[in-house]
Amino acid sequence: MADTVLSVQNLTMHYTTRKGDVSAVDDVSFDLEKGQALGLVGESGCGKTSVAISLIRLLPENARILGGHIYLDGTDILALSEPEVLKIRWTGISMVFQGAMNALNPVYRVGDQIVEALQTHFPDKSRAESREIVERLFRVVELDAAMIDRYPHEFSGGMRQRAIIAMALSCDPQVIVADEPTTALDVIVQDGILKELREIQDELDMAMIYISHDIAVIAEVSDRIGVMYAGRMAELSDTVTVFRQPRHPYTYALMSAFPSIKGPKRKLATLPGEPPDLLEPPPGCRFHPRCPRATAECRKVPPAFEDLGGDHFVACYHPIEESNG
Amino acid sequence: MAENAPLVEVQGLRKLFPVESGLFRQTHSFIHAVDGIDLKIQAGRTLGLVGESGCGKTTTGKLLVRLLDPTEGSIYVTDPELGQTVDLAGLKGRQLKAFRRRVQMIFQDPYESLNPRRTVFDTVAEPLVVQDVGTLSEREERVANLLQLVGLSPPSSFLFRFPHELSGGQRQRVAIARALVIEPVFVVCDEPTSMLDVSIRTGVMELMMDLADRFGVSYLYITHDLAVARYMCQEIAVMYLGKIVERAETEELLSNPLHPYTRALISAVPVPDPEYERTAIEIEGGIAAPIDPGEQCRFYDRCPLRTDRCGLEDAPPLVDRGGGHYVACF
Repeated sequence: MADTVLSVQNLTMHYTTRKGDVSAVDDVSFDLEKGQALGLVGESGCGKTSVAISLIRLLPENARILGGHIYLDGTDILALSEPEVLKIRWTGISMVFQGAMNALNPVYRVGDQIVEALQTHFPDKSRAESREIVERLFRVVELDAAMIDRYPHEFSGGMRQRAIIAMALSCDPQVIVADEPTTALDVIVQDGILKELREIQDELDMAMIYISHDIAVIAEVSDRIGVMYAGRMAELSDTVTVFRQPRHPYTYALMSAFPSIKGPKRKLATLPGEPPDLLEPPPGCRFHPRCPRATAECRKVPPAFEDLGGDHFVACYHPIEESNG
Repeated sequence: MAENAPLVEVQGLRKLFPVESGLFRQTHSFIHAVDGIDLKIQAGRTLGLVGESGCGKTTTGKLLVRLLDPTEGSIYVTDPELGQTVDLAGLKGRQLKAFRRRVQMIFQDPYESLNPRRTVFDTVAEPLVVQDVGTLSEREERVANLLQLVGLSPPSSFLFRFPHELSGGQRQRVAIARALVIEPVFVVCDEPTSMLDVSIRTGVMELMMDLADRFGVSYLYITHDLAVARYMCQEIAVMYLGKIVERAETEELLSNPLHPYTRALISAVPVPDPEYERTAIEIEGGIAAPIDPGEQCRFYDRCPLRTDRCGLEDAPPLVDRGGGHYVACF
């Protein structure tokens, strides 16, 4: 545990809406070690982005954190005051956002935006020094140095995403959270960005959290996978174990519903029903209305998120038996 | 199946969009969105049209249902009941409207393709109203049957709901019901599942295949996702900047891609298997808008295998390399 950079413990977060409270994140816990890449996977509304914005405390006004702790290097981020959070944001945890189009200000040159971030956090650095850092960052993300003085509209989608990665790296953070970093991109461009992120992570021994709905993307970049469903963590283990030996019925269904271009063509499993409305989440396990293994017990009390042995955490009363395959 | 006349046969289809610029919005150049493509779809089969954003796949789909008018080329559609073949490209007025009974479209975004102020019944029954099919009670029966078939059951609880009362998956099912209610023979599906979550998507894909069997419908399935295309389609055509570069049976195309672009595309698809080692073929540069492109192969600038010939000669034609595997490459 010596190398744990980030530890999330029992995080619970609600959004207050006119119709009532939306239980977006419920009792989510995970650890992240230095140099490790954790993939958070799940469908729309499962709470993966809500976890991410809790980590950097960029919460919308109607969000309330009801419980839990987020320790970054031993400091509880949730206990910090707003000015203290400002110091940690970008230097402690930075984020690569989903919409590369919206994350850059269209009326400023891309390089200047990164310089601005640098000078906010390191006021002693001169402009020339900051500029040097930007040039180095552009080399790291394989962007032409000439692009530093261009405006965002002159960048293609893939180049913009690279610029945003450069920005996320600028203040030398301990953890980078990448929320659907390649979702809007074409496959060939996506491939380049994923490769870039993996290389950067290796080189800098960075801790990363990838968030995606695409298990194929997560499979390629993550060492560990956390599967989320309806605001809760369903399963967490190393990537190969989650793919080869899924124990939670939802993980199993998710894996079996995903088509691949490799391997024999197989019939895809169909999951009945739809994810629950988090205004009124079902009692007990939130997956029980769709679960083929659900029993009376599942409808009453949510199952604990426990280690089934060998660092394999699952929240289920009736986990799928271990196979010897 | 016997080699009948194909249900849909597209020949030399082109669509140019003018690029307007300057004070008087003069047209100086054209975007060659679809530039001379040929396609054949046999009755009861599904053809996948794949490619990256901006390659012209959606424009092709819209041309095939005549939501856009082609600049050049023909779209022959055979009506299996009458045994007639008509060139859709030249139809106008009443004839075109009559043909819309045979050809329908399903759009990508079920949040935008349904009118928020109409009930499910109004939406699904609309094609019947427009085409003047059946009496009100017959229409009601047909809509209810179809809702049942697309998995919105019991139909009575869905008939008078509005789109905002439905989830994304349910909306797409309504859109599918609307497309199929007048029993078309050919449906263009433009990324019908790309907005849906995985656990919902499989159900909609299964439903579409099931309905294709039941009604004998053929699809043109437009998608950027090769894994989805593999699942849905018997045949795949790969498009690049307005041209079809390769076309073959699905498994043949995926296991033995011959065009360098298809190879790069396939190699870039992530595989949901952490132990699978992918070797991606890198290609240079990015996709550009095909504004007044030259005559040579459109992939020339990015192609890892290009030769002098590719730069000097006109774009290679799509030729059969055996077994119905068509490639446009020297």
